[in-house]
Amino acid sequence: MKITTCLLRLLRVAVLALGASAASAEEVLLTLTGAVRDGQVTIARADLDAMEWREIATSTTVTDGQPLFRGVLMRDILAHAGAEGETVTAQALNDYVIDIPVRDFHDFDVIAALYMDGAALTPRDKGPVWIVYPRDDHGVLADIRYDMRWVWQLSALHVQ
Amino acid sequence: MTRRGAPWRYGGLGALIVVCLGLLVVAGHNILRVERQMQIAATENMTWIFGQTQIEALSLTAALSAGAEETEVQRRFDLLVSRLNLLRDGPQWRFLQEAGLAEGLTGWRDGLLARDPALGGDRAALLAHVTALSTALRGKSSRVMAREWQLQADRLDRLRQLHILALAAIFGALLSGAGLAALLVDRERRLARAARLQDDLDRERMASEGYRRFADLMAHQVRTPLAVIDSAMHRLTRPGTPPTPEEIGRKAQVSREAVARLVRLTDTAMLMARVDRGAVAPELATHDLDRIAAAALEEAAARPADAARLRLCPSNRPVPALCDPVLTHEILANLLGNALLYASSDGPIELCARRDGETALCDLRDPGPGMSPEDLHRAFDNFTRGARHRDLPGSGLGLPLARHLARLQGGDVTLLPQEDGGLIARLTLPKGAAA
Repeated sequence: MKITTCLLRLLRVAVLALGASAASAEEVLLTLTGAVRDGQVTIARADLDAMEWREIATSTTVTDGQPLFRGVLMRDILAHAGAEGETVTAQALNDYVIDIPVRDFHDFDVIAALYMDGAALTPRDKGPVWIVYPRDDHGVLADIRYDMRWVWQLSALHVQ
Repeated sequence: MTRRGAPWRYGGLGALIVVCLGLLVVAGHNILRVERQMQIAATENMTWIFGQTQIEALSLTAALSAGAEETEVQRRFDLLVSRLNLLRDGPQWRFLQEAGLAEGLTGWRDGLLARDPALGGDRAALLAHVTALSTALRGKSSRVMAREWQLQADRLDRLRQLHILALAAIFGALLSGAGLAALLVDRERRLARAARLQDDLDRERMASEGYRRFADLMAHQVRTPLAVIDSAMHRLTRPGTPPTPEEIGRKAQVSREAVARLVRLTDTAMLMARVDRGAVAPELATHDLDRIAAAALEEAAARPADAARLRLCPSNRPVPALCDPVLTHEILANLLGNALLYASSDGPIELCARRDGETALCDLRDPGPGMSPEDLHRAFDNFTRGARHRDLPGSGLGLPLARHLARLQGGDVTLLPQEDGGLIARLTLPKGAAA
């Protein structure tokens, strides 16, 4: 019993160390521009850690089953940045760009996911940030018009 | 078009409707299914994902060739790995496997990871590997697109077939429904015609039965007075002792009564015929029913023997009734004639007119013997004679005629048994305006 606990603790330390090496707490994850406080707000992992985290189990169009996503509500991020606008232009690492109505984030519990099934999302997968809609909780979300707003490898948000 | 054929046709059409509706349900279900598949298929968008992979491979090649900075090369490397990882995820991987394009992709990815610049991989080796990967992807991309379009086209084909099936099912159901409706309408029309024919036949039967009874009755009723007259004439003309004046007078009286009966019989039959034809139009006005009753009574009491039996209830005030006096007189005369003929001779026959709410009544009470329930039931049928009175003179038309005439005036004639065995024949008429 004791040995198991010790092993688990060791494991956790190892995982934390790995995570720290992958992305430091101060490294900028997201950059918000446009109608935000002072015209530009950068968000680091430490900022996200200070917010309330949510979990969503939902099917996606590019994976099987119902992965469990963990992250921060998009509306919380916008509020954190003092965003005032109706549309968010999301941009990904590969320059994928799409406009998302801010309404979405208030109508649904859309999260900026950093974990899928307990594993941190990385740029080699769909991370570090993936916009995830609660697709299985609302029938209307199972639609191409919403699916294309699931931006993976999210890097910047422009509010207008 | 036999009777036995009808249920089969109904059953056949009904079954067809059920089959068509079943097909419709199946088609609708499958249409929804295919449409959902198409929705998801659209989001799979393999052509786009594969294109993205190609672009990232080319971008990495370009970055490496241009000797870009470490971070830029690393970013491009990560993006390419992420696209290859995406291709290895569930739906994408299945698509590639089914298309026979999955082979080698894992090897390419492993090769790439082995030359990870973050782990100090050799740039030249990485460039060679990515360049080869680009070429391999180019060869597969058109096949990915062809495969995707093939799948879409197949789904569209299936959708079109299902649409046609649904339309056919609707059309079939409509056709069978129309057929069924036509059958039902036709059947309804036949039933109505059959009912009408049956009705006509019943009326015809009743009429012919009535005429037969009438003929029998007339033969009987005419024969009796004729026999009486013949017998009287025979006695008067018999050779031998000439008849005395008293005897001649008596025979003449008997003969005249017989003739009077014949005349009344003919009058009744003729009036009934006119009523049947609808040729009797009552002239309605307010008249005193009491006075009409008194007049009818007086006329019926022509013979002294009858006069002793008939009695009019004293009425202190007039009984206004909306009626035709001639027809009402005829009704009462008929009822009185019946009473004199059929009632036992040991009691008075009373005629009483009175008001009763909105109607004017005239009751004729006789002392008995009354009528059996069967006779009461059939008393108003034409040419019906009570079982006990077949041999008494009468047309069998008196009561029906009386009722017809009363109803023509908005009233009625009913027979009510009395507790002590006698009978009340009641004439009701609408109340007239008070004088």
